[in-house]
Amino acid sequence: MNWKKQRHSGTARLLHWVYAPAVLALILSGLYIHSPSRAFGFKRMDSARKTHAVAQFLLLNSYVARICYGMKDKNYKEIIPNRKTLKAMPKFLKYEFFLSEKKKEYPKYNPGQKILITSLAGLIPVQIITGMALYFKPLQRAVKTAGGLNPVRWLHYLAALMMVSSVSVHLYFTLTNSLKKLKSIFTGYA
Amino acid sequence: MVNEDVPAKPLIIWLGTNTCAGDMLSLLNAKDPGYQELISSIAELRFDYLLGASEGSDAINVLDDLQKNHKAAYILVVEGSIPTRSNGLYSVIGYRNGKAWTALQAVRELGAEARYVVAAGTCAAFGGIYAAAPNPSKCVSLQAVLDRKVINVPGCPINPEWMMGTLNHLIQYGEPALDDYSRPKLFYGETIHNLCQRRDYFDNSIFAAKPGEPWCMYKIGCKGPVTYADCPVRQWNGEHLSWPVKANTPCIGCASPEFPDGDVPFFEHLPDIKLPGIKVTANRVGLLTGVVTALGIGAHLMGSILTGRLAETLKKDLPGGSKLKIRPRLKKGHK
Ligand code: SF4
Repeated sequence: MNWKKQRHSGTARLLHWVYAPAVLALILSGLYIHSPSRAFGFKRMDSARKTHAVAQFLLLNSYVARICYGMKDKNYKEIIPNRKTLKAMPKFLKYEFFLSEKKKEYPKYNPGQKILITSLAGLIPVQIITGMALYFKPLQRAVKTAGGLNPVRWLHYLAALMMVSSVSVHLYFTLTNSLKKLKSIFTGYA
Repeated sequence: MVNEDVPAKPLIIWLGTNTCAGDMLSLLNAKDPGYQELISSIAELRFDYLLGASEGSDAINVLDDLQKNHKAAYILVVEGSIPTRSNGLYSVIGYRNGKAWTALQAVRELGAEARYVVAAGTCAAFGGIYAAAPNPSKCVSLQAVLDRKVINVPGCPINPEWMMGTLNHLIQYGEPALDDYSRPKLFYGETIHNLCQRRDYFDNSIFAAKPGEPWCMYKIGCKGPVTYADCPVRQWNGEHLSWPVKANTPCIGCASPEFPDGDVPFFEHLPDIKLPGIKVTANRVGLLTGVVTALGIGAHLMGSILTGRLAETLKKDLPGGSKLKIRPRLKKGHK
């Protein structure tokens, strides 16, 4: 019997490994669609577009499933920043900016992770709505206030840049902060 | 007995406000039905700011008569945007009782009594060129000054068939199905990109590097993917001969609500971002985001290496990591 405390449930891990590759595929195919270059791993626009279309449905479904799971299991409370998070921020930043050596242990996610995950979760709907509006004419109604499809394209691009940034920071910290915690997204246990 | 007050044919007023006259000139290229057929057997063009033979009070009296005696019997077509600065004095239609009759007053008064109101061209439909920054005369679209429905037929200029088709639909069947921007779906129901003859080149990533090349214009800023209009199938030049991409230049999105401010530069994929005092290109924003992220991660990584945090993590978490030799820390206090 495993006496270690479980860090990520099976459902959370399964969903993570659906939306993580989907986000990666969306970023690479999206960058190719924005500026076609073989550096992004595609040779033809058609394959980049198909990848983008399949990955967006995977992301959309896993994102909705993750929200439902978060609500049912109440584990969204571990992720969404609250007043305590803001209070803990100065100490956390002091440590991350090498002004203090006291590493504080947090119940599950540190304030930085909470903000990062929440902003990623907030950027995804922006991408879904703007992406759908660029794709389906009837959905343009949802973004009419943006003033047209050119500004919508910009929003999609800007949110994508923010996602690239957030994902890079997320990857950097998972690879350098704690390898045990990194292991837990595969095995469930830290 | 024929009642002379009731016109046999539908009446049209074609009013010019702040316009280059491109839309009226474009309409003259219509084919099947052509302009001649429009004015001889389909409708009666009672007033036309460009082609009318009369001027001065003679011309204004025609408008007065239509407004007073033919309520809900005429179609008002407005070409151009409406200046609102100085109570609209930057566009004067004529003089009434010795006073300037501004376009703002005219469209409000004539629009209130019209059966249908149609905005011809992007300026009338969305503000367009005359409403572009810095917009000294504070031009706005027709819809912005009217509290009734305006049917928008954008384009810079309009394709003659878009206007001829809309007018004929209004006369024969009533209002056509409109989209969210009040444009007839008949002509603006699909993107240029989805109708484009060069779509195969796009799908296979065969792109033109400069105007004049016979490939897909995407990489030199073609706005076809974000512009709804049927230019590729309907085409232009009266005889339906060509359209911008066929002439080896990118689509500049002239039928879009954000044209021109929201989609310049025309030869770039994304418009520039304009902040007070600065203008940044999309690629610069991308580059800047990448550099800032890389610098941030790089600086933190360097700090983690120099303070020994990274080594500590590896020592603690790696199997056999305890045997790793950790560099002494830089700071005294870091034990
Ligand atoms: S030329 Fe323009 S509209 Fe045609 S396929 Fe290329 S991007 Fe699309």
